[in-house]
Amino acid sequence: MMSRSDDPSASRSNRRRQFLIGMSAAATGALAAAPAHAETAPTQRHVTDAPNAHASAQARWPFYGKHQQGITTPRPAAGMVAAFDVIATTPDALEAMFRALSARLAFLTQGGMPPELDPKLPPADSGILGPVIEPDNLTATVSLGNALFADRDWLRPLKPRRLQRMTRFSNDALEARLCHGDLLLQFCANRPDTTIHALRDIVKMMPDTLVLRWKQEGTVPVLPAAAKGRAESARNFLGFHDGSANPDAGDAKLMQRVVWVGEGDDEPRWAVRGSYQAVRIIRNFVERWDRTPLREQEHIFGRRKASGAPFDGRTEFDVPDYARDPDGRVTPLDAHIRLANPRTPSTARNLMLRRPFNYSNGVNKAGQLDMGLLFICYQADLEAGFITVQKRLNGEPLEEYLKPVGGGYFYVLPGAESADDYLGRTLIEAARAAPSPT
Amino acid sequence: MKPQHLLAAGALAAFLCGPAAAATLDLVEPIAAYKIYVSEKLQTLVTDTKAFTSAVKAGDIATAKRLFAPTRMSYEAIEPIAELFGDLDKAIDSRADDYEKAEKSPEFQGFHRLEYGLWAQNSTEGLAPVADKLMADVTTLHQRITDLALPPEKVVGGAAALMEEVAATKISGEEDRYSHTDLWDFKGNFDGSQKIFELVRPLLENSEAAFVKKVADNFDTVDTTLAKYKDGAGYQSYDKLTDGDRKILASAVNTLAEDLSTLRGKLGLN
Repeated sequence: MMSRSDDPSASRSNRRRQFLIGMSAAATGALAAAPAHAETAPTQRHVTDAPNAHASAQARWPFYGKHQQGITTPRPAAGMVAAFDVIATTPDALEAMFRALSARLAFLTQGGMPPELDPKLPPADSGILGPVIEPDNLTATVSLGNALFADRDWLRPLKPRRLQRMTRFSNDALEARLCHGDLLLQFCANRPDTTIHALRDIVKMMPDTLVLRWKQEGTVPVLPAAAKGRAESARNFLGFHDGSANPDAGDAKLMQRVVWVGEGDDEPRWAVRGSYQAVRIIRNFVERWDRTPLREQEHIFGRRKASGAPFDGRTEFDVPDYARDPDGRVTPLDAHIRLANPRTPSTARNLMLRRPFNYSNGVNKAGQLDMGLLFICYQADLEAGFITVQKRLNGEPLEEYLKPVGGGYFYVLPGAESADDYLGRTLIEAARAAPSPT
Repeated sequence: MKPQHLLAAGALAAFLCGPAAAATLDLVEPIAAYKIYVSEKLQTLVTDTKAFTSAVKAGDIATAKRLFAPTRMSYEAIEPIAELFGDLDKAIDSRADDYEKAEKSPEFQGFHRLEYGLWAQNSTEGLAPVADKLMADVTTLHQRITDLALPPEKVVGGAAALMEEVAATKISGEEDRYSHTDLWDFKGNFDGSQKIFELVRPLLENSEAAFVKKVADNFDTVDTTLAKYKDGAGYQSYDKLTDGDRKILASAVNTLAEDLSTLRGKLGLN
């Protein structure tokens, strides 16, 4: 159940190329002609595959759809999360914020020309992408934090049932200035300039409702288009492939089960088609890691470092057979991949879709590199997903090399379906329909 | 030197020809009124600084602490004009983190050096020369600004500049980090910005009604929020500012900075 439905992937890069050509065509035509939602697009690549080095600046993902973009869409080279506090305290003010935000994000993800203003005024756009804003594969994903609901009487009854303030796990050293927030924006694009451009646009356009709280950027290594065979998963800053066992985002049924909250789930009705998002800023002690014997590194992860293969496999996509290794002679029982996903029938409900980026921030007071993993994952049930998996990982040998310092839990809004719609509409309508609390 | 340069370039007459002449002509009255405002603030600054530095030199810690925040308010209100003289602004109002060696740097002088001595060290020892220098610098500032023709774009731009100051380095409470009297400074900055806005407001009331209302509303939000922390003639410690109110102030300041950044252009100034 964990193995992806591995299609023969010799044709993948071809399909990718066709997709990009299609996107370019869409770029010159009406935006309404954009292809169907990515979830159903047959060209889907796996989320955690290494991004293509030749990705086009013209490539764009539809902003409108049943689900938000940036979750099952392939992960490009640059990622960013930015957490905000929301000033709006009334349904009207919150609706105005959602509408304004949706309109900006629709523009940024589809690209276009910012208006030309009188040169005596500050320009409408930062200009860092030049006079024309190319979409550059930008996706924008909006999610809401626990505090947004908790701090507003009229929103509290509508909080998704599993949304909560992130609390400390045993190995965490959370820094208050890097945690939580009312609203989180995830931007992903081919280039970091594009995600920075998007963030600066939002900061400039929406100061009256959004106050920036923290942000973290990250990247993943790009690879030339695979000549043959399946694209590799990108490597993290510990040098291991990350995402080999990620569920197949191209499998809509699987995504419906693993990622999206559905009609039958015990969640508020407005939340259907949304998802839970866990974000973690996980510092890696890379100097120490680089001084650790290779065999020990591999045992800590449970994979070969060069190939990414499990100890009983040949490639990173081979599935380890723990049933034949109950005592951990092949893969240690406390290896990272084995604790994270024991691959038993009962742990299938703990699956999540990961979308991590590597970050590199500078040097800390001790003169060590401040770098690590911007971990992002999506799941239909936060408790069964991230929280359960992280609890299983508590105490793992890898902890000696990790220190989670920030992040938070958020609820991804359902998609906005058309230009008449906006992100957050179902929540606002539910709030208006509810009897107001005294 | 910068001051002489400005004296030459800043003469109001220079702005009375060229395409923006009409707009600039409308500004003659507000600028003259602003000049009076600045003069009054400077007069108060000189008087208050005299009392404050005298207390420091007399070793009267309690009085000096009491006078620190109110003395600064007149400086904060006209900061964009004071900043036309970079050398003096640095001498009067620089902070420890402007210097690599922070508090240990001999260049660390002025208000914040005195604040550091009074609060962090609870002492006036060695502060007399710092106090004398501050008094001398404030006096020089007064003279220089009195002789200065205020450049209209600096005056009008000052409304936004004050908000940029608050947004960039003050909202976090790092300005008065030893005394935590930041809310007094906020008040000074907001008053200075609002004064400029109110002076040019009649020029925009008809053509830019929505803009004028939005800016005025945000100044109101700031006033209402700060008023919650009023304490006698001044303000409570920055520590008392709740997270929620800090966010409301941050949002209002950022929005004011954004909106007021268009004020120059709207008035036809380059």
